[in-house]
Amino acid sequence: MTGYYELKELETKAPKLFGIPTGTKLDEMFYRIEKEEDKYVKKPLGGIPHLSIINLTGIPDSGKSVLAEQFAINQVNSGYKVLFVTVENPAHFLYTALKQKSEALNANFERVENNIVVIDASENDELRENPKALMDTMAYAIKERKTTNTIIDSITGLYEHKEVMARQIVRQFFNFLKKFRQTGIFVSQKRSAQASETAEAAGGLAVAHIVDGTIVLDKKLIESRWDVSLYGLPIGSILRTIRIDGCRFCGHDSQTWVFEITEYGTINIIAPLSEYIKAKRG
Amino acid sequence: MEIIAKPKGGNVDKMAEKVFLECLNILGGLKKLVEFRNLTWLPSLAEASYVIVLRNEVFKTYAEIAKELGITEQTAKNIVNADETKVKRYIEGELEKPNEHVAGGIAKLAYNNLKKEERLDEDEVIIKSEEIEVLDIDWAVHVLAKIKGLDFPVNKEKLEERLKGMIIKGKNVENILNELEYPIKTPAELLHKIREKL
Repeated sequence: MTGYYELKELETKAPKLFGIPTGTKLDEMFYRIEKEEDKYVKKPLGGIPHLSIINLTGIPDSGKSVLAEQFAINQVNSGYKVLFVTVENPAHFLYTALKQKSEALNANFERVENNIVVIDASENDELRENPKALMDTMAYAIKERKTTNTIIDSITGLYEHKEVMARQIVRQFFNFLKKFRQTGIFVSQKRSAQASETAEAAGGLAVAHIVDGTIVLDKKLIESRWDVSLYGLPIGSILRTIRIDGCRFCGHDSQTWVFEITEYGTINIIAPLSEYIKAKRG
Repeated sequence: MEIIAKPKGGNVDKMAEKVFLECLNILGGLKKLVEFRNLTWLPSLAEASYVIVLRNEVFKTYAEIAKELGITEQTAKNIVNADETKVKRYIEGELEKPNEHVAGGIAKLAYNNLKKEERLDEDEVIIKSEEIEVLDIDWAVHVLAKIKGLDFPVNKEKLEERLKGMIIKGKNVENILNELEYPIKTPAELLHKIREKL
């Protein structure tokens, strides 16, 4: 193997740019630029970029896992196979969550059951503590079950007591998913000491700098008269926001959007924050 | 929903054993160590092999490695940071003993060899050559070696690509492949079908 390429040589190896649907408004928020006659126009990708590894980050209870699960259901319901590596939530709890969401999303649960392969690292120390063992197990699942999408919930759980190794561990999993041509979601937990709404807050500087893109989820408790006045929401309520922080594959909407987690446990992205506030304040 | 709850690889002991055996290989084999009365190197090589695998494959911290192997953190660091090129020149007689962890350097050389040749992950089936001959299955071993990593079910073109030029019991593999029905679902089915045509 040579260590360098002429740019032209990479043409056949370069992935095609198209979207892998999440089943949310996010699908319209990644776009590519196309030339139509004399003008350049934005064309929604229809999902997160194919073969990208996207970091979903946020504080606890901001909806990261909900979004990851919704993505998984949407993919299997469309006939694609998903490998779900659960590091935090034991597999039987994940099963219940997926079942409920499938019903809420009107997905065929039989198809969901048959097309999601789960690696339960939450209850096996070897899988959680030995990245090599986990990667070999993932390789087995990807090859045997022909999955095209992989979700790791959460990547932070694989180095939670040894942040010094975070970069190496994240890099290994990133390279692994690239090698096996997976579109990937890394769920990562944001450190509470760092400012919310920032991508680098997740797992130190490790995840955000390595992955192809980051989506930041956040929530704000309406707790003062100022908040009530600004957001037009009653005191004690919660305002949830989502923002694409960056993507090296393609263009994307950079606004902060308001979303809700419905009573059925699904993500519904409502409007850009500025428009939401304007509408709320009349 | 299929749930996989146990690892399917990444066995640290097996990987460390492979690195250790490769260390012996680099040093010219066990016999050479006996001849030069260097058997005292073996414990250090075994320890260094574990350190290198735990650090590079399992991403353990120095503190974790030290605790797991009952060595000091400094020893673990010395092994991981040993300059393998200097150690290589030392064992080839080009340099005086360097100020490096020699076993660490040898283990790193061994590990690099295995990684480069993708042998660290290989599942090895150990059957002695005499047994293979007696069983008359050497062709099967060669076929399996050549189709390693191939996705099944498989079609004729993919198999031709991998097996071209092989002669099985005097028959060209291309002729045998022409007689088979496709797709072939598993390696076992492939061997079975080839055997029927021999």
